[in-house]
Amino acid sequence: MTKEISDPVRRYDAIDKCTGKQKYLGDMHFPGALYARMVRSTIARGKILAIHLPEMPQGYDFVSYKDIPGKNELWMIQKDWKCFAEHDVRYVGETIGLLCGPDKEMLDDLLSQVKIDYEEETPAITIEEGLACKGGAFVGKDNLFCEMTTRSGEDIDKVFARADRVFEETYRTGFQEHVNLEPQSCCATMEQGRYVVYASSQCPFYIRKSIAGLLNLKPEDIDVRQTMTGGAFGAKEHFPDVLAGPCLVACHKLQKPVELVFDRKEETAFTVKRHPSRTTIKTALDKQGNILGMDIDVVYNVGGYLSCSFVVLQRGVFHATGCYRIPATRIHGRGVATNTFPSDAFRGFGAPQTLFAIERHMCHLADMLGVEPLEFKRRYLIRQGDMTNTEGHINERVMLPEMIRQITEASDYERKAREYKPSCGRGIGLSLYNHGGAFTGNGEQVLIKAKCDLHKMADGRVEILCGQTEMGQGFHTAARKIAAHTLGIPFEKIVFENIDTDRVQDSGPTAASRSTQIAGRLIQQAAEQMKPRYDKEEDFTVHVEYQHPEGFPWDQEHWKGDAYIAYGWGAAVVEVEVDPLTYEVKTVGIWVSHDVGHPIDRLILRGQANGGVMQSLGYAAMEVMENKGGKFRQKSLADYIIPCSMDFPMMQTFLVDNPYPYGPYGAKGAGELVFNGADAAFTEAVSKAIGKPICEIPIPPETIEGLMHAQHD
Amino acid sequence: MEMNTAYAPKTLEEALQIRHDTHARPLAGGTDLMVQYRRGEGAAPRFPWPVLLLCGVDEMRGISRDGKGNVTIGALEISADIARSELVPWHVRQAASRMGAISLRNQATIGGNIGNSSPKGDLPATLILLDAEVELASIRGTRRMLVDDFIIAAKKNHLEDDELITKVIIPPHDFTYVWYRKIGTRRANAISKLSLSAALTLDKEGTIIDFRASSGAAGPKVERSRKVEEMLVGKRIDRIDEVLPAFLDAYDGVISPHAMPEYRRRVTRNMLSYFLKEAGKRPAGKVIEETC
Repeated sequence: MTKEISDPVRRYDAIDKCTGKQKYLGDMHFPGALYARMVRSTIARGKILAIHLPEMPQGYDFVSYKDIPGKNELWMIQKDWKCFAEHDVRYVGETIGLLCGPDKEMLDDLLSQVKIDYEEETPAITIEEGLACKGGAFVGKDNLFCEMTTRSGEDIDKVFARADRVFEETYRTGFQEHVNLEPQSCCATMEQGRYVVYASSQCPFYIRKSIAGLLNLKPEDIDVRQTMTGGAFGAKEHFPDVLAGPCLVACHKLQKPVELVFDRKEETAFTVKRHPSRTTIKTALDKQGNILGMDIDVVYNVGGYLSCSFVVLQRGVFHATGCYRIPATRIHGRGVATNTFPSDAFRGFGAPQTLFAIERHMCHLADMLGVEPLEFKRRYLIRQGDMTNTEGHINERVMLPEMIRQITEASDYERKAREYKPSCGRGIGLSLYNHGGAFTGNGEQVLIKAKCDLHKMADGRVEILCGQTEMGQGFHTAARKIAAHTLGIPFEKIVFENIDTDRVQDSGPTAASRSTQIAGRLIQQAAEQMKPRYDKEEDFTVHVEYQHPEGFPWDQEHWKGDAYIAYGWGAAVVEVEVDPLTYEVKTVGIWVSHDVGHPIDRLILRGQANGGVMQSLGYAAMEVMENKGGKFRQKSLADYIIPCSMDFPMMQTFLVDNPYPYGPYGAKGAGELVFNGADAAFTEAVSKAIGKPICEIPIPPETIEGLMHAQHD
Repeated sequence: MEMNTAYAPKTLEEALQIRHDTHARPLAGGTDLMVQYRRGEGAAPRFPWPVLLLCGVDEMRGISRDGKGNVTIGALEISADIARSELVPWHVRQAASRMGAISLRNQATIGGNIGNSSPKGDLPATLILLDAEVELASIRGTRRMLVDDFIIAAKKNHLEDDELITKVIIPPHDFTYVWYRKIGTRRANAISKLSLSAALTLDKEGTIIDFRASSGAAGPKVERSRKVEEMLVGKRIDRIDEVLPAFLDAYDGVISPHAMPEYRRRVTRNMLSYFLKEAGKRPAGKVIEETC
């Protein structure tokens, strides 16, 4: 292998996926299977008084919490989310039961006849309602699922006491639906006396752990087999447990395979979303307009159950000062309980919300001080060795100056920023962002302890045996490249099947932009160990375990130290024109640059950048999802609007090379970074084009119209 | 378990007889009905009434123009073909070409778009502008009426339960300036948030002899007011500024948007004002294009 590892290869899954040959769970046939429909709460908060079921034909059954032999809990991070609601419901769409039977048409008929009597209670829907404990607190005394405070530098109260002036603003972001192409799907069955769960999933080992207790089993007693997963974006990190649990209970009760596949309506109305956020940033400035410190308050709308929201909040807090060196900080984070469908993992995992806030804040600070935003941001750019908001350090060389040069030259940013006068209808905006790779702090060492096997078969092929899933992001191609490149054998000789928890080592979840950075490195190490034995031995396995690099202290109790060993870095420029008649925004150019260390495959990375940036621009421009009384108003892809190629047509992507010493061939995480910042650049561009500050996304044309005419109406 | 009853006639005569006997509901492309009556994953849509599948009735196809310039479009003609046809007036082609996604345009019919009678329907907005008529047939005979009269309100129209929409007839016209703008939820594959179709005819002296405008998605049906249009007739285009404020206020009274009223009203005013002001500045025979 003399080729450079980054040179693109044809993805192993490309042909089957592009020709439609690829089978997903919904295409599979499980002999003797019963199909399932979820019976869900239709109210946001209240008590279940009675469930009236229609007469069940032969072979049809209703499964509920009463059929759980073990504990009615899904073990995600904590054990708060119930498999089936018992007496109370906390959100519209909460699982109450499962109707099972051999015919989907009949199931729909039965479902339409199920009647549930409730005693309704007053729900809290918004962040403000949750914080005010509207209807009474339902989590603790204050409706807070989680709370934390970080501090860095001089005591923040003293900093503000000597400040010349203070600038304060509040920023908000909305719900976002993942729109994973393949819907959620699961089938629980028994094979040779063992429970086997087939699932479209990012994290098969999570499912095993989460649902075993329902049947008083140990995780190892259940075999979870990942079916080809057609998109996830975080929606298939913990949420598949919400399908797998009920299916397992039903399979146990009915002793038949039970299959549950969502349709797009269910995906939109009854699955997890990105956390809506409210971030208030208060900045202390001295006489010359220099930043002395920031006091930041972050609130995320968690919804009815915690799931992984505390970890999402932590990431939000750790990213709240973005790419800037702020001498003193205090960041207060809260996750508030509300009666909306629980918010959960979504590409970016809490970082996009606070990064949006800090980017808007820096632009508005610059405007207030009369400085060009990029010039202002440059003064505070974080560098290698600088202190973070957890009093850790940036360990790597930060290449933002070079990345800024790439995109500002390509976009002619400086001229346009100078020439486009505020409210002239054209605008150009620039944003900077980062994403901490892998689990927070020492989580990789303490919580995950990733393992990986590499097996050489007699015919010379080598199989990767770890838990990292392919979900469309390209990891199984990247992993094959790493193994093949290290062993010096052809790409085609590497085998990497969809994950079967009985067969592979647990290398941790496919999340947190950790697959390439952590598991990819393990694969490289295993291949290095295999290489000298490859020609001599016929059939053998190499086992490797994660070793945390020395010298990166982290105190999880006090939130002190290196929250992340390494970050991916990003910079984006977006240029827009706002139609003076219709307030529609035409995006005329997008320029992005990313530092992901050294990429394993440049083409896969470009795909990630194109997709992540599009998703981020959709988040800012049009993906409106409102919740009224606990119900999402947008019910399908006809009214939940994601962008198409004509909305954001031109995108130029750049990379910088900055090899990461602890990643495979210098690679760092990339999957989430690419989502984290184009939204802020777009917002800045629109803000300049219309000459109004914008503190909230999404901003569809009707919002822009409102902003432009707010004063003289 | 209930099943759908469906009839699949091969001729118009057969279709009208079934329609008369069973009152089965017409289903052409199915792009509205199949979605409205969809059920859960893996289950077929279920209709609460028998369905008359029209796709086999070839008599209801075809686009033609007669000697007087009237263009007739068969009710089963799909948007993709309407957008392609050079016989079809500009406004209708514009609307047809921006309707939904390509797959939808290959399936959705003009008859269905009128029959569905949604205020967001793309084709009715332009057909109403052009004084197009529908032909309604039954075993009792045929009748014609303006599309504007046929559609009463959202999902309500004058189709009798033994009738079918068989064709659309668009009379000739000779506009000096035309305007069509659909504000979709995104730049393609979108439902209309608001639309404005407009046309202006001037005589040689620059006097307005015909003006018309129709607004889609701005009320319970596509809105058009001949009374308000009349305000501009006889006025000189180079002195449009004198009548514009009163005209815009009057037009504002025509539309009655339920959602986002501020946005829809303001954008409608902006577009009308721009169209009329631009018309005075440009050579005749021009499409007034979007501004950016």
